Amino acid sequence: MRPIKVKYVNLPLQFESLQGEILPVITAVLKSGDFILGSEVINLEKKLAVYCGTQYALGVGNATDALILCLKGLGIGLGDEVITAPNSFIATAGAIVAVGAIPRFIDVNDDFNINTRLIEGAITSRTKGIIPIHLTGRPANMHAILEIAKKKKLHVIEDAAQAIGAEYYGKRVGSFGIAGCFSLHPLKNLNASGDGGIITTSDAELYEKLVKLRNHGLKNREEAEFWGYNSRLDTLQAAIINIKMNHLEMWNKRIRDIASRYQQNLAKIVKVPADQEFEKAVYHTFIIESDQRDQLKSYLLERGIETKIHYKIPLHLQPAAVDLGYKKGDFPKAEKQAEVILSLPIYPELTDAQVDFVIEQITSFHKKIK
Amino acid sequence: MKVNYSYLAEQFANSDPILEDIKKLILSGNFTLGKDLEIFEQKFAQFIKIKYAIGVASGTDALRLSLLALGIKNGDEVITTTNTFFATIGAIVTVGAKPIFIDVKDDYNINPEQIEKAITPRTRAILPVHWHGCPADMVKIIAIANRHNLPVVEDACMALGAEIKGKKMGSFGDTGCFSLHPLKPLNVWGDGGIITTDSEEIKNCLLLLRNHGLKNRDECEFYAFNSRLDPLQAIVGNHMINQVDWIIAQKIKNATIYDKALAKIPQVTIPSRDINTKQVYHNYVVMVEKRDELLSYLLAQGIDAKIHYPIPQHLQKASKLFGYKQGDLPQSELQATRIISLPVHQHLSEEQISYTAQKIAEFYK
Repeated sequence: MRPIKVKYVNLPLQFESLQGEILPVITAVLKSGDFILGSEVINLEKKLAVYCGTQYALGVGNATDALILCLKGLGIGLGDEVITAPNSFIATAGAIVAVGAIPRFIDVNDDFNINTRLIEGAITSRTKGIIPIHLTGRPANMHAILEIAKKKKLHVIEDAAQAIGAEYYGKRVGSFGIAGCFSLHPLKNLNASGDGGIITTSDAELYEKLVKLRNHGLKNREEAEFWGYNSRLDTLQAAIINIKMNHLEMWNKRIRDIASRYQQNLAKIVKVPADQEFEKAVYHTFIIESDQRDQLKSYLLERGIETKIHYKIPLHLQPAAVDLGYKKGDFPKAEKQAEVILSLPIYPELTDAQVDFVIEQITSFHKKIK
Repeated sequence: MKVNYSYLAEQFANSDPILEDIKKLILSGNFTLGKDLEIFEQKFAQFIKIKYAIGVASGTDALRLSLLALGIKNGDEVITTTNTFFATIGAIVTVGAKPIFIDVKDDYNINPEQIEKAITPRTRAILPVHWHGCPADMVKIIAIANRHNLPVVEDACMALGAEIKGKKMGSFGDTGCFSLHPLKPLNVWGDGGIITTDSEEIKNCLLLLRNHGLKNRDECEFYAFNSRLDPLQAIVGNHMINQVDWIIAQKIKNATIYDKALAKIPQVTIPSRDINTKQVYHNYVVMVEKRDELLSYLLAQGIDAKIHYPIPQHLQKASKLFGYKQGDLPQSELQATRIISLPVHQHLSEEQISYTAQKIAEFYK
């Protein structure tokens, strides 16, 4: 095998350019000793609320916890049902199960997002909420989701873990549901140097509850209002994110440029995702579909191009889901996608030459198999 | 003279070697699990003299994941002490179980004599806390647990390095739970926790519980959580673990000076010191008369005394649903009105300790 020419991720490149900014803030946090819920966390929360267009933002331990705390904060628990999509990362279902609720999966559209026409059919007397996922960084159909939620009095928690900065009719994700959950995991578009998460909300009552839920239920040093968790975004990670916030718009623009280069050159050969005029996707992943997916993946790897599959096994077919009673064939679209999807490298530091190389190799693969 | 409770500025005054390693990590981009964490887990297990250590996001999560690994679930009861930090109870409640509070002895720890009568058919575990760094009576507790076939989770969040007859806390129960919070003796630069166990089965379960139940990148064995100790924090831990023995020795030295000086003051009650145990004095806590006035007096003298804590867990507003009332656990309730924590950290001078003791003596004159 030849050496890797296009890695799937390349975090060192990002840090080489930012280390002059990041290392001094680490030292500053260290000097302050302000490691837990410090001023950098408060600053970041303010910035992210403004950025997402919500009243509040709240730093938590990670995006899984963001979902768990929102469900808890909304009183969703034992025996309740929550509607979501079966093609997300495992944490979406994990969070629902963690509070004692039951995930009710429904199938997805061609854009990998929840098929809103199927939502009403899945609602039962026990349904308490909907968790749409803005998968790949592309907004779910929030207008339809909010309309159904309003009619049926359900809470909507946006799983925006992959979608920081994505827009839907000119409004940023995380501002549509009662809460939005974001991941600051190292592989995300806005990334910490460890685990981290953010919740956005404009609901004052939920916000007050979340502030306590993330910090042992404490209303002050001595009194617990209710029993909670320890799920706080480290001050150190918040300091790093505060620096990266200054670059986020530029990074997302570069990612969108790469996406559009892929789209223009690959659309005739494989199925590629495409924005519609009312949305702005941020392409946390750029997923193409190919009937020869596994061969294509090997072909690219032999030529030094790393790709990934997000995800190989849909949530309803995981060993963990066995008690939920689903079987193969329940969600044909998601199951079919799992067989043909392939994620191409996409991050701001990729050069046009690298992107063109990926395009060239995918093109040559398809010429060969014809 | 100022006598501070906190000491982070002094402790991290020379952290260049740690910052160098963090820079290397950042340039490598390996921010989730991996080598630095594994090294820390091995070092920690060696320190406790136990087979496995598993890094998690916090001491709270160490307790919560331990309970989950032992199969504690909705409707189960867990026997614990009312003298503890909120996280102990939060962990029990967030897995769906109910805490059964037991009163304490004059060493502030759970009274083993009262455990057995609290056991019901729904009891699924005993969760003793080594409060303030003083070992709970593990010999009796383990005997009771064995008799009733109950697992034991040690809340050792304040007790790193504490021992009973040379055996370290965290190596008695089915699991031991430690916090790496900035105010702990082995402290990282944010939240962190670690679990110790000798059971391979529990270790394997915890590895899945902390990482979404993923047995590989694509397959989820069971639904779980995200609770990982950041490699960045593991790097800090790898440096700081070398200081732990020194820190403990300093704190024991400071506590000994207090014990000697305060023994002369009749209004101060020092808890009995068991010669078979090694306490690590996470907090140095004595019972005093006119506690609130003494606290104000010391604060006015520049001595940063604290109360850990004025309200026992069974009387918290959050505990209302469990139906406890004032008077149920008299020993802990009395302690809550009389305890005071004096600065005892490793960067205090003998002079500062003596000054504090002297001010307490002056107050009662």
